[in-house]
Amino acid sequence: MAYASSVLVDKYLRTRKIPSTACSGCGLGMNHKIIVQAIAELGLETQDIIWGTSIGCAGRQTFGTWKGDGFAGTHGRVYAIARGLRVTLPPEKKLILTVGDGDAFGIGLLHLIHCARSNASMTVVVNDNLGYQSTGGQFGFTTPQGAKTDSSPYGMFEHNLMSEGMDVLDILKAAGATFLARHVAMEGQAVVETMKKAISNPGFSLVHMPYPCPTNFAARHLGSRVQVNIYNWIKDHAAPMGQEKPDTIWRTGIYHDARGARPEFSEHVWEAVNRIRRTGRL
Amino acid sequence: MKRFLETGNFAITEGAILAGCRFFCGYPITPATELAEAMSLRLPQVGGVYLQAEDECAAMHLCIGASLGGMKSMTATSGPGFILYADPYGWALGCETPMVVLNSGRVGPVSGITGAPGQGEFYLTRYPTQGGNFETVVLAPNSAQESMKVVVDAFYLSERLRMPITVLADQLITDGMEDISVPETEEEMKEMGFRVWPRSYHRGPDFYPATDALDIPPVQMGHNTGALCSDWTPTEEGYDIEEVEAHHKHAYRLIYKVRNNRHLFSDMHEKRHMGDDPDLVVVSFGTPSRVVNTAVDRARAEGLKVGALRLINLWPFPDELFRRRTTYLVVELNWDGQLVREVQRAAAEGSKVHFLGVCGDLPTIPDLMETFTKLLKNQPLSRKGWELEAW
Ligand code: SF4
Repeated sequence: MAYASSVLVDKYLRTRKIPSTACSGCGLGMNHKIIVQAIAELGLETQDIIWGTSIGCAGRQTFGTWKGDGFAGTHGRVYAIARGLRVTLPPEKKLILTVGDGDAFGIGLLHLIHCARSNASMTVVVNDNLGYQSTGGQFGFTTPQGAKTDSSPYGMFEHNLMSEGMDVLDILKAAGATFLARHVAMEGQAVVETMKKAISNPGFSLVHMPYPCPTNFAARHLGSRVQVNIYNWIKDHAAPMGQEKPDTIWRTGIYHDARGARPEFSEHVWEAVNRIRRTGRL
Repeated sequence: MKRFLETGNFAITEGAILAGCRFFCGYPITPATELAEAMSLRLPQVGGVYLQAEDECAAMHLCIGASLGGMKSMTATSGPGFILYADPYGWALGCETPMVVLNSGRVGPVSGITGAPGQGEFYLTRYPTQGGNFETVVLAPNSAQESMKVVVDAFYLSERLRMPITVLADQLITDGMEDISVPETEEEMKEMGFRVWPRSYHRGPDFYPATDALDIPPVQMGHNTGALCSDWTPTEEGYDIEEVEAHHKHAYRLIYKVRNNRHLFSDMHEKRHMGDDPDLVVVSFGTPSRVVNTAVDRARAEGLKVGALRLINLWPFPDELFRRRTTYLVVELNWDGQLVREVQRAAAEGSKVHFLGVCGDLPTIPDLMETFTKLLKNQPLSRKGWELEAW
């Protein structure tokens, strides 16, 4: 069932941090609500989840919003902290990381790949504002090709990590991730359903979620800070897998669902440790 | 008590386990690889976890994660890996996350000579990250046996001060084979002066109080205390804040919890032939001090009034040991002179401070003896040319 925002906030979030200091009209709140909605629908409580964040818009605006325990890593490193923390947590505790595209697919990609490789149980939600927006609007590694940003004044001409055959989700799949999806923020309940699957995966899940940044991305690329323009622009360039149009940038839906197919990292590690301790061998 | 003929890496591993370390994460690098190997063998036997990370930056971040989850954790590297700790080291200092970091020094800059001892990170260990507004604690053993005790001490201090502690060793200490005694009972540990502090966790809500007090339990995840930790300046509850006043409080804590509690480690030095106000005090740390001690014994036998001061606690720098006006000779495993700068700064007015540097190798006893004699006769140190003139 859909919960009213106020119910979700009361139960799960800290009023000191919600509403956040994001720009008015920022789409990040849509992603944030989708995650909390999924948590509520799964019947999870604050003590069931430890919430990690990166820096940048997505990280800073979600840091400290969760009523339970929370941490923020330096740029790109929250995955490595989370992997170390995972070893110490009982399997039923969930780790949710809300991070940005630069953090996950730029500076942190190596650590992210190793979380996927080890199938460390965590749900990484990459809130993609289409570049580095908290520093004013430079292109990132999933910024749509051709997009004009402050550091691509002629249009982003490098290959990005959503190009055919080099999609970052393919990279993560090959690295061993057990749940991968991509949705734009406006897909509503469909994203909540995906998010529930991601969170319930006893392994490494990543959901890539582009969202509208009216302040920087839209101002530069569309020449307009009017929210509805960037909301429509993202929506128009997104399509469910199989229903792509020639101008589709984001193919949405579940890319890879191998939940439970591989042993989870910390359980695997502890099993080995306990066996060695008991028998002296693996 | 069990006795072994083993390496410093063995001693460090056993020391860490005695101190309660149950998580080690590293990345192979000469000469710290053998320590990681020893940990990979020993930790599972005592129910601990050894992990190998994708790089050193990740290794220390994994240790942060494990420590946030309540496990005493450790990482080890050499100079080229230590610089990759800059990012997590700052985080651990800021969030006051206990752990132990070992740096086994080799010859730099960069990869330099991989298989020879060096002391090029005296200052880097003081400033292992950017931004300032913190103190660091650095301990430097000079033998395998002592490295065991120093690692136990490092864990103890990391819990009580709520911060990462660096052990600065060098290749000869970690790889060299020596006679090592490992305590087997708590009584034996006490007899050997091993201090152990248990891990506890903060129940909130003031996770970052602006105080120099010891023994504030560290912030941990997983107890649903509403604990927060981040790379930003925290409020006392852990919220990120962009205010100078909050930053001032945080910085006060990071600096003065160390400065005002130096009694925990300020006795960590060794004085040799220092009782009669020697005319020449030879200052060193780590492996070169072993040669210095022998040379100073010999100088005494020859009637030269020379003493040796060996630092174990390098940072915060023990200025009080240099209050006497005399002649100091600083012996280090580098050509540029690092420790000597601090001795110059700390030495009583009117003191003379000289430098003898070698790198990749140890100073020899004849070299040291010749230098002592010249200094005591007020002769210039011209024998080796440039490496002595600078100071
Ligand atoms: S800069 Fe863009 S992404 Fe960042 S808070 Fe403002 S609108 Fe949101």
